[in-house]
Amino acid sequence: MYKLILKMAWKNLFLRPARTLLVITMIAVSMSMMLAIQGLYDGMVKNMIDKNKRSDSGDVSLYAKDYRVEKDIKYRIKDAEKIKENIEKIEGVEAVVLRLRAEGLASTARKSSFSSVHGIDLKEEEHFGAFSEFLKEGEINFKKRGAAIGIELAKTLKVRIGSKLIFSAQESSGEINSIALKVRGIVQTTNIGLDSNAIFIDIKTLHEFLGTDAADATQIAIMSEEINLAKLLKAKYSNLEVKSFLELQPMIKQMQEMMVIFNSITFFIVMSVVFIGIFGVVYVSILDRIREFGIVLGIGMQYKYIRAQIFLESIIVGLLGYLSGALLGAVLLIYLRDYGLDLSSFSDALEMWGYEAIITGTIKVSYFTTTFGAIIAASVLSVLIPLRKIKKLNPIEVIKAEK
Amino acid sequence: MFSFALKNILFYKGRSITTFILTFISAMLFIVFVSWQDGSHNSMLENSLKIYTGAIEIYHKDYRDIGGNEYLIRDAKTITDKLSSIKGIEAFSSRYETYGLLSSKEHSAASMIAGVEPQKEKLLSSIALALKEGEFLNENSGNCLYMGTELVKKLKLSMGDEVAFVGGASDDSFAADIFKLCGTFKTGSFEFDSSASFVSRSYFDELMYAKNMASYITIKVENLDDVDRVNSEIIKVLDDENLESLTWKTLMKTMVEAMEVDNVFGYISLSLFLVVIFFVIMIYGFINVSSRIKEFGVLKCIGLSKQNIFSLLFYEIFILSSAAFIIAVPLATYICYYYSINPIVIEGIAEMYKDYGIVSDEIPFDFNMFTIFWNIGVIYILNFLSILYPYFFINSFEPIEASRHV
Repeated sequence: MYKLILKMAWKNLFLRPARTLLVITMIAVSMSMMLAIQGLYDGMVKNMIDKNKRSDSGDVSLYAKDYRVEKDIKYRIKDAEKIKENIEKIEGVEAVVLRLRAEGLASTARKSSFSSVHGIDLKEEEHFGAFSEFLKEGEINFKKRGAAIGIELAKTLKVRIGSKLIFSAQESSGEINSIALKVRGIVQTTNIGLDSNAIFIDIKTLHEFLGTDAADATQIAIMSEEINLAKLLKAKYSNLEVKSFLELQPMIKQMQEMMVIFNSITFFIVMSVVFIGIFGVVYVSILDRIREFGIVLGIGMQYKYIRAQIFLESIIVGLLGYLSGALLGAVLLIYLRDYGLDLSSFSDALEMWGYEAIITGTIKVSYFTTTFGAIIAASVLSVLIPLRKIKKLNPIEVIKAEK
Repeated sequence: MFSFALKNILFYKGRSITTFILTFISAMLFIVFVSWQDGSHNSMLENSLKIYTGAIEIYHKDYRDIGGNEYLIRDAKTITDKLSSIKGIEAFSSRYETYGLLSSKEHSAASMIAGVEPQKEKLLSSIALALKEGEFLNENSGNCLYMGTELVKKLKLSMGDEVAFVGGASDDSFAADIFKLCGTFKTGSFEFDSSASFVSRSYFDELMYAKNMASYITIKVENLDDVDRVNSEIIKVLDDENLESLTWKTLMKTMVEAMEVDNVFGYISLSLFLVVIFFVIMIYGFINVSSRIKEFGVLKCIGLSKQNIFSLLFYEIFILSSAAFIIAVPLATYICYYYSINPIVIEGIAEMYKDYGIVSDEIPFDFNMFTIFWNIGVIYILNFLSILYPYFFINSFEPIEASRHV
């Protein structure tokens, strides 16, 4: 019996093909657009989180108390090397790096700007966050006082590969000291703070320049998937400031929350409008066939079979719309993931805001599963009112009624 | 056709109500969204302009691109004398900017130090109004330094403390002096407050060997909408190919671009809603037309032309859209107007997004009738487009075929 109902539902659907195709197109277009927008926005935030973690904070960072407020090398972690060794032994820790940072003035013969010099160990940074992937121009080579400079700072100072610059800052004894550096690479981390201020040099060179002990650091950054690591380290190193990624980046946390709210509102509005669309078509389709339903009820067909047929019609439309939308959405998402949205004409602005000129999207299975649930729900709900109308039918009256 | 359309609207209530509600929602959403987006952008730009950047700035060519002392303006007075005669200029002043290291007893920090003409600066920017402690500069302030609060914190200074300065003078020689902290300011722009400090030009010129020189000349115009005309006039009056006069649109190009990017993403999001609503309006229009095939067939048989059918469908959608606009537009306009005067305040947003140049927790809406009109125009166009498919569909039937349609 249900096989026959399925066949009838299918045939009825395409009795008025234009109408059905319009609904399928509506679901497909709105769903694919929604998926593409969600993927693009999530991709922007994901990219930002990934690069911020790799270039700066990792999943957890340790600082000396007061360092984050004072930004003064006086507040550095003593014997950081030993702490690093201990952290590396913790299960789940993937990489640990030590960094030394000092703020000062960077000058060329013509331009000057505030900047911060970051002493890093290239080999360790490569393991920690693939530092070389941030390279935009030149090479990453710290030999003979070579330096890599943030893309925005390079623009401010108007420096190119091979340019010389002087960095002046206060060393650990309180005296002002200067160091001549040669720009060998320009990097773009998409971390606004680093791109507009940072000069990366070898950590040993910076230790020498600042007169600090080689085992000291201003930051210990850790990469780990272990969720409870920050808690564990907070208990273990109560004399230090231990911060998780989201504690260090409240703005990103807020962006993530805003994105969830935005996606939920978008999803709700779009699905509501889709529901109205399906409802309208199903309702009119039932009104068109009201006499037909009266006849089949009159010759003894049970109401439950008519109900099943209507549900099937609506679910099939929803499914066809979903499949077309999922296919179109997947194509768009794959394109956005692989090629991205090219906004090179706005590159200055995007770089200033910590984004790359080509914005790539992300793909999550949840996009498809949630939308599937919502479209099927909209399809099922949209037939409830039309079904009430059929249930109240008096077959004799309907048959007698003029068409 | 108009009265016929009106009758159809009243007869097919379901379709009419749905189209009315959806058009109402799209109009409200579009007008309020664009007003909010434009308002927040304008506010960011205005705040930045108010703080320090001038509506127009005159530079020696290549000062911005290459930099260096050889690209300083050498005869600032001649230029400022010429500016006095230009209509539309409210105030102007020359500034001498340099970067150097400031040191307190224990701490050092890099700073942009600008020599300004205090009385003129009061008219040009909000740095005097942003006074937090102490006092703003005057012509006889001598070695007084007026410093951003974040920089004061960095250097751990108190009012009256001495600050050592080391930098480069206009002749490329070393310049060093001891300043005294006389006042602090807080503009709200984190970057500016943590990096800028000011000295009276009369004193700074001696130190930097920069008498009658300027990094640039900053200009405030009477009406910001008039900035391009005033700028053209300045270029004409100066008539010097070694100088360039730039408006805020060029000076703040990155910020203007950033707003454009934000607009792009805003419109992408909005287009999703508009497309879905467009489809539903089209589907309801199509259902309506497809249930009247027989009626159209009969009308065509008695002489209704294709043009008449189009007019009928056009009037129907026009009446329904206009009815929705009659309610949506005043309501949306009131919302835009109300929030342009009483901006939405989101506590902590400026602190959270300080790296992005947000200086205020207030998000004002933009109240602009022209914008509202073009928003309505877009919704009208979308609604008119939604009748095209139903129109072609109904015309695909021959009159006899349509009149026999079941």
